[in-house]
Amino acid sequence: MGLVPGLITGLGVTLKEVVKTATKGAETVQYPHVKEDPPPRARGVIALHEENCTSCMLCARECPDWCIYIEGHKDLAPPRRAGGKPRTVNKLDRFDIDYGLCMYCGICVEVCPFEALFWSPEYEYSEPRIADLLHDKSRLGQWMDTVPEFEAYEGGAETKAKKVPRP
Amino acid sequence: MAVTDAEPEAPVVEVPTIEHNMATEAATEVHPGQVGLLPRNDAVMRMSEVQMAERADAPLDDENDQTMLMNMGPSHPSTHGVLRLMLEMDGESVVRSKPVVGYLHTGMEKTGEALTYLQGPTNVTRMDYAAPFFNELAFSLAVEKLIGLEIPERATWIRMLMSEMNRISSHLLFMATNGMDLGAVSMMIYGWREREEVLRFFELVTGLRMNHNYIRPGGVAADLPDGWRDSVGRLLDILPPRLAEYDILMTGQPIWRERLQGVGVMGADEAIALSATGPVLRSTGVPWDLRRDMPYLAYDEVEFDVVVGTYGDAFDKYAIRLNEIRESMRIVHQILDKMPKGDYRATDTKVTPPPRARIDESMEALIHHFKIFTEGFKVPEGEVYAAVESPRGELGCYIVSDGGPKPYRMHIRGPSFINLQTLPHMMSNGLIADAVAVISSVDPIMGEVDR
Ligand code: SF4
Ligand code: SF4
Repeated sequence: MGLVPGLITGLGVTLKEVVKTATKGAETVQYPHVKEDPPPRARGVIALHEENCTSCMLCARECPDWCIYIEGHKDLAPPRRAGGKPRTVNKLDRFDIDYGLCMYCGICVEVCPFEALFWSPEYEYSEPRIADLLHDKSRLGQWMDTVPEFEAYEGGAETKAKKVPRP
Repeated sequence: MAVTDAEPEAPVVEVPTIEHNMATEAATEVHPGQVGLLPRNDAVMRMSEVQMAERADAPLDDENDQTMLMNMGPSHPSTHGVLRLMLEMDGESVVRSKPVVGYLHTGMEKTGEALTYLQGPTNVTRMDYAAPFFNELAFSLAVEKLIGLEIPERATWIRMLMSEMNRISSHLLFMATNGMDLGAVSMMIYGWREREEVLRFFELVTGLRMNHNYIRPGGVAADLPDGWRDSVGRLLDILPPRLAEYDILMTGQPIWRERLQGVGVMGADEAIALSATGPVLRSTGVPWDLRRDMPYLAYDEVEFDVVVGTYGDAFDKYAIRLNEIRESMRIVHQILDKMPKGDYRATDTKVTPPPRARIDESMEALIHHFKIFTEGFKVPEGEVYAAVESPRGELGCYIVSDGGPKPYRMHIRGPSFINLQTLPHMMSNGLIADAVAVISSVDPIMGEVDR
């Protein structure tokens, strides 16, 4: 192929693309107006189900860059049976995740043994100020509504994965 | 002790003289025997920053000055991030050059010593960010080799599937950047469009588009989700016609060929002497591919061809990568047929936390879960090297363990770093415009160069 015919065939490919874009619309998703549906496994933001958290600190310890901050205290709760001794329960005072530091590795969600942390595919929480990326426990709790049901594994290797607590 | 007034003798510092012309300056001492292997060894500039700065102040001498020192990068759009090149130019041609690295140094190898083997993959995955699965894979294979851990068949095949998909996405990225570097700007959009489809598949399986932390010592993080076959099948359907478009836009395009053929040529001996691997080595005609020559995972059970070039020029490096996409698709087809059933991670309780379902039922499982995550698992003393064929070449992971839950030392043999050393040889006596083509054809990822 000579230079000129080569040029023309090459331009033909891009021209086809131009016509396609002009008639059928662009290939790209026109974000803010149109949004993509992230898959259910997408690691968008971490949601906290506060009632399940025992402030065992496992997530904070295992986080590779230490971006989870937990403070808690012990509290007395009414006994399970009448006449029993009051139970001690752990109450969370503070549970913050700093999304300015988080690298979305998912280790915290995996290590939490009490099903208190979940991934939600939500992603629209950018902030003009980096300090606002620190989500406290009420903000993290709000994400719970967006957590999808855990979908099945293909091989069925682990039958029960995680149960998402619903109010 | 006798006290003397005499000052201690100052060590003699040899200050290199800088009078003579740079081009005629004897490059360096060359080891005999090296000359034959590296015929262009004097194309490597061995000049420190200090020497270079001294030269900046030297008075102009129009009569005798023949060459000019020039910096390209570190923030230059065609240097793939933050590679800096010191070039000695004679007019428009490059006489000597030196790649300067370190502008993206992150200390990830050192960080790896502070993280347990369970946290390790999330650290190493950030090195070669265009091919993250390979980093995780090399790390996991090394750890498993030290422990002597057998991983289930299904995990092996899942790993292979993800690696090959990653090879496709990484090479598509190369198609995009290579085109862009050389002025075929629309190519950038084409490459990215296809890569996006592969990244969607990654997000479906792992939850993230890059830096997945998916392949772990002991297996993979999660089983493939329902519907993964459709997703892969769709990809395998849309890719071939789009690769055919690439052929029209680039491979068969006389403008593209003129631009790349005969640029950055390297011989097989030279490539081997510089320990280049991957497409850079294969373009010289050496059929060296770890997947075939030192099979890991289950690569001995699938059929594929090792693509080699003839001339060792930038066009061969491009063509090899394009055809490796096709070979990877061939492997993925076979993986789809052969994907076995079973577990996605080892059931060895020493390294695997108990299944989630058991934590609710049994206290022992809960204690085990806590123990494995707070202490990490212990890896026997010893050292190990495991290597995989990443899209850029041999990616190796060397781990020394002192018997604790963290590596005593971790080192990554980054193929980008080593392939980068071929740059001065390939660029010598070429035009500066061709230098861009040469850098692009090596496809360095700076995150991996500067671990
Ligand atoms: S996902 Fe974020 S918060 Fe959780 S362990 Fe990883 S870095 Fe820490
Ligand atoms: S691991 Fe779970 S239960 Fe423990 S502190 Fe973290 S969120 Fe709470």
